[in-house]
Amino acid sequence: MSAIAVHQFAQCITCHAWSPDHSMIAFCPNNNEVHIHKLVEDKWERIHVLQKHDQIVSGIDWSIRSNRIVTVSHDRNSYVWNKEGADWMPTLVILRLNRAALCVQWSPRENKFAVGSGAKTVCICYYEQDNNWWVSKLIRKRHDSSVTSVAWHPNNILLATTSTDGKCRVFSTFIKGVDTRGSGTSSAGDTKFGEQIVQLDLSFCWAFGVKWSPSGKTLAYVGHNSMIYFVDEVGPAPSAQTVAFRDLPLRDVLFVSERMVIGVGFDCNPMVFAADERGLWSFLRFLGERKISSSGAKYGSQFSEAFGKLYGQSKHGISNDIGEASRSRGGIHENCINCIVPVKKEGQSTNTRFSTSGLDGKVVTWDLENQGDLSEYL
Amino acid sequence: ANTLRLYLTCIRNTLEAAMCLQNFPCQEVERHNKPEVELKTSPELLLNPVLICRNEAEKCLIETSINSLRISLKVKQTDELENILTKKFLRFLSMRAEAFQVLRRKPVQGYDISFLITNYHCEEMQKQKLIDFIVQFMEDIDKEISELKLSVNTRGRLVATEFLKQFI
Repeated sequence: MSAIAVHQFAQCITCHAWSPDHSMIAFCPNNNEVHIHKLVEDKWERIHVLQKHDQIVSGIDWSIRSNRIVTVSHDRNSYVWNKEGADWMPTLVILRLNRAALCVQWSPRENKFAVGSGAKTVCICYYEQDNNWWVSKLIRKRHDSSVTSVAWHPNNILLATTSTDGKCRVFSTFIKGVDTRGSGTSSAGDTKFGEQIVQLDLSFCWAFGVKWSPSGKTLAYVGHNSMIYFVDEVGPAPSAQTVAFRDLPLRDVLFVSERMVIGVGFDCNPMVFAADERGLWSFLRFLGERKISSSGAKYGSQFSEAFGKLYGQSKHGISNDIGEASRSRGGIHENCINCIVPVKKEGQSTNTRFSTSGLDGKVVTWDLENQGDLSEYL
Repeated sequence: ANTLRLYLTCIRNTLEAAMCLQNFPCQEVERHNKPEVELKTSPELLLNPVLICRNEAEKCLIETSINSLRISLKVKQTDELENILTKKFLRFLSMRAEAFQVLRRKPVQGYDISFLITNYHCEEMQKQKLIDFIVQFMEDIDKEISELKLSVNTRGRLVATEFLKQFI
């Protein structure tokens, strides 16, 4: 079993993020608050509740070096939280959005962060010292539908986005005064803000969960048509591979190393994809055990009346025992997994640990160290 | 009975694929969250509807979107009496849609009863149990209508016998 820790934090978790030393976790329990829990002697205790948003918090990211939390919500707002003493103080972010914000991520150098929104725009925010707030520059008129996911390239300039119009796009987010031209690849240095480097039109259906590999060479994203796309050499002549799998669609992905990707989604079980020596990606296996479900006893409907039987059947407990067995589902998570976050150990280049959270309210930490068949890909 | 099994299995498999819903805020109106399958204002958020027909009289339409799913059923009605019974029975259920949570108050045009399942239902309840409920509902509907028809006929016979006794 590769799951090393399971904890039920709430009834339903929208998204989560770890503190730099992994002692604290921040998550949204499907409402307008952000709860921060700390591991105190093997028990999780709630130490802070960040309450500033009016609607559900759709994205949380915790920066590693500067220890700041950025939250975005469906109420079109975003806040950057700084730890001052014992409390977290919010700093205003001028997002200039007129629809909900859907996702957020700190840039690798943590001087900017990107927000994808339902207004079909992406906001790149940077800090303005004079007024003590974060201002944004918008990438407009490039997306045809809501931007579901954003991912920063390690060079701090390129940003990949996925949208419900099925396309994945890569933009340059060079901001004068915040980013420095000079060393780095020439392609990243010459472009101006908001310029679209490449548009990938591989999916017929909505695209989610885009991520770059640790070196920035490969890009991976998923489509709702149960496919995962891997793109190499992102630039004027990208080469793409599509892997179709027979299970339910994925929601998010994570690069564990250059050659291994973990995908999570509606199957409630992480899926492992790996590239062989020639660079061809394929689906390896599921990470957790798959339970073979058995039909349980009929839930207490003792009514003999016709509609009474329908009234009495609770959707929570009923199970069809006439022979139509439910399909087997992943054992640890009971509902869709919608967020996967790396848990980086200090000073390690490859990541073998990551955590997943889902609509069942559990956060599960996984470790790939003991999985013999996967070690060659790490 | 054999075709019923196949019909229900087909619906079950389609629902397992279709019930992959997620929370999605409205693109048209700020701060709102509406079931996109009812709204239909953003065509990119809707998937192709699937129509599963058992025969001409019985069919099931499944329409999905990014945050909601609509299932409409047309139940078998072989004669006038079944027609009336079905209409009355399903109207009785639809009017109490709040108790069922996933039922729609009015069936979609051309169908007898409709369900509306949103991402909130999938968050609160388990997907497998929801699918089991829908399939069980479809099986039970047929049984209920037959039982009702039987009891109507039985009662009619009893009443007629009693009434005509006075003329013997």
